[in-house]
Amino acid sequence: MSKNLKVSGKLYYLYRVVAVLLFVILFLPAVNPAKVCGLINRSISLLTSGFSYGNLISNFGRAFKKEWVSESSLRLLNISSMLVCIGIIGCAAGACLSLGNNRCRRLGNIISLGGSALAAGFMFGIYNAYLQIAATSKPSKIEPAFPDSFYPILAILIVMLIVSVLELVLDERVEKGTKFYMESKYRLFLMFLPFILLAFVFSYLPLWGWRYAFFDYKSGDTLSRDNFVGFKWFVQLFRNKATTSDMIRVMKNTLAMSGLGLLTSWVPMAFAIFLSEVKSLRFRRFVQTFTTIPNFISWVLVFAIAFAIFSTDGFVSSFMMNIGAWDAGKNFLMSGDHVWIKMLLWGLWKGLGWSAIIYIAGISGIDQQLYEAATVDGAGRFQKMWHVTVPGLMSTYFVLLLMAIAGILSNGMDQYLVFENSTNTTDIMVLDLYVYKMGIVNGAIPLSTVVGMLKSIISVTLLFGANKVSKLIRGETII
Amino acid sequence: MAKTKIEKENERLEREYARKHKKKYRYTAGDVVFEIINHAFFAAFSFICIFPFYYLFINTISDNELVRKGMINFLPRGINIDNYIRMMQVNDLFLSIMVTLARTVIGTLLMVAASAFVGYLVTQKEMWGRSFWYRFLVITMYFNAGIIPWYLNMAMLGLTNKFAAYIIPGIVAPYNIILVKTYIESSIPGELEESAQLDGASPLKIFISIIWPLSKPILATIAIFGAVGQWNSFQDSLILMQSAPKLYTLQHRLYIYLNTTSNLAALMSSGSSSSINQTILESALNGKVIKYTISMVTIIPILLVYPFMQRYFEKGIMMGAVKG
Repeated sequence: MSKNLKVSGKLYYLYRVVAVLLFVILFLPAVNPAKVCGLINRSISLLTSGFSYGNLISNFGRAFKKEWVSESSLRLLNISSMLVCIGIIGCAAGACLSLGNNRCRRLGNIISLGGSALAAGFMFGIYNAYLQIAATSKPSKIEPAFPDSFYPILAILIVMLIVSVLELVLDERVEKGTKFYMESKYRLFLMFLPFILLAFVFSYLPLWGWRYAFFDYKSGDTLSRDNFVGFKWFVQLFRNKATTSDMIRVMKNTLAMSGLGLLTSWVPMAFAIFLSEVKSLRFRRFVQTFTTIPNFISWVLVFAIAFAIFSTDGFVSSFMMNIGAWDAGKNFLMSGDHVWIKMLLWGLWKGLGWSAIIYIAGISGIDQQLYEAATVDGAGRFQKMWHVTVPGLMSTYFVLLLMAIAGILSNGMDQYLVFENSTNTTDIMVLDLYVYKMGIVNGAIPLSTVVGMLKSIISVTLLFGANKVSKLIRGETII
Repeated sequence: MAKTKIEKENERLEREYARKHKKKYRYTAGDVVFEIINHAFFAAFSFICIFPFYYLFINTISDNELVRKGMINFLPRGINIDNYIRMMQVNDLFLSIMVTLARTVIGTLLMVAASAFVGYLVTQKEMWGRSFWYRFLVITMYFNAGIIPWYLNMAMLGLTNKFAAYIIPGIVAPYNIILVKTYIESSIPGELEESAQLDGASPLKIFISIIWPLSKPILATIAIFGAVGQWNSFQDSLILMQSAPKLYTLQHRLYIYLNTTSNLAALMSSGSSSSINQTILESALNGKVIKYTISMVTIIPILLVYPFMQRYFEKGIMMGAVKG
């Protein structure tokens, strides 16, 4: 008997893995078994096919009107998909219950047995719908295609079915009067599980997209052995003259603008120190209130403001024309001069007041006795700033500086995207913007994936490097 | 902590002593120069920060003919709010305001609820694999696959051109989870939870009746910063909604308008706005005013919540200082 229990315990691992797999399949359009013809939207998942008839038939208006396919086939497809979904959800629920006591487990097994049987059964409903659709009078328009994922999913469902039956036989019997019970460590975990799945899907799964770097891919293709190109794109980055010169230019811009940011990284600290010299609390509040506002508007709005002030009929031009200094308006935005400095100044305009807040908080945390002692020693205003305040803020500054160094390749793209135009595009193109333009706008997905991938790897390395440095110097980590 | 009488008395005496013996500080000439320059600098910078908003605003409420000629520089003239009323007739704009409002409200609510719940769960020491799963969440702050893999992933999940793409990815926000966790650990006494546990309350019950009400200050902080983030977000609309113009956010719509050449006809035909009465608009508006007014419409909500945000600033900026 105990041998049975051991086998049953091991089998539960398989049981849970299979259930998770099935559950994930629900959400992935790439493996949707209900996509039985080309007319069905490529980007709908099994779940959508089951629960949203409207999405499923969104492209079928003409096909129904001309009676290429009958609506009943798609109804069949829809309802079968829905029941497959319900079955799979049952399997997942069973897997969750498998963490409980024997009564929970037994219930879970029964549910997953029913679920997998239901799902496997209605896979044939989908199959049937496929046969009906394949018999269309107009295959060129409908493009019936048997989904590759059909048999693998069916196989997984059958494994699930067998495992459920085995567990029902092998797992310990439930005595009368046993209550449902699950240890609280598992109950808490199950409550946490949905969020783990979300984090996995939106933060870890994109890493799977790095595989595009190794394929010759255009939007709409499928990845296969035929278009696998190995490190071709990596090599092109360094060998192809046009790409290389682009990259050099982009890196120059990126490093220049990040470098200017690093060179001015002390400015918020100075801002805070001098602001704290202002005696009137009301004036200080007033300054803080107004200088922090720009931080909360988006870069698009910053551009809207730049437009209102610096375009041909903006404030500067109309003011200069009104006082008779200029004959015609000037458009400062359509100019390729001093782009790096302008971007730096916009960054300071937006972020200075906000970045100063952390230092202002830091200053209020400095021991007043230090100032008193310095006064007694005859220190003047600037000496106090330099010998008391600055050292007191140094550790904050150091952390922020290290973070800035780690983010040297990540300028973000919003600012540069909104300010970019034909006159300044050569100087404003930073790495993030370049990747966006190349990948999303021009559709060069593999090459832009390569660039983005290298950037991510370098950034993470820099971050951990910065962390190490911080540990060595201050004995404290920053992440 | 209540102070004893003696302590209070001592403090009073100290203050009195300090008052009597305080040297009258005399300003030197250098001090005066410094004070003037310092005040002037901060006044000027505040002016630079706030003037553009004012300038936009006076141009949207002034007489449009004067605006077109560039006559409105410092003071509004011919005040009216017709531009704002007419703005609502542009179909696309109203739709994008609704989309942005919806994503701000729904997205923020779900994010706050999830952060509170997950922040509470990760404080539960008995949870299976707690520290592993916590790290699993936190580590996502430090890497990302890049914008292209992110886009391909969203496409694979079928989230492109769907409203859900604005909401679902933002539900789990590791940063905010850390904030809630630290807050619960430092500010809510563990005894409260323990006694509730002894009374047989389930984790869910404890969360609803103890944790949620007591962590309101931190939840307000993340809510307000989250809402501003949602309102301002632009990239996801730009990249994910390429074939669903109806789902463009306000920021995206504004970006499009700003980049259209300033003649009105082009602006109007860029949207599917056959129902608006073009002649009315053409006579009353010009491209510049349209752009200014839409900008104002986009800024105003931020300015409205701004006073309420201010007291959360220090907590907000400290977000950078917390660790997992």
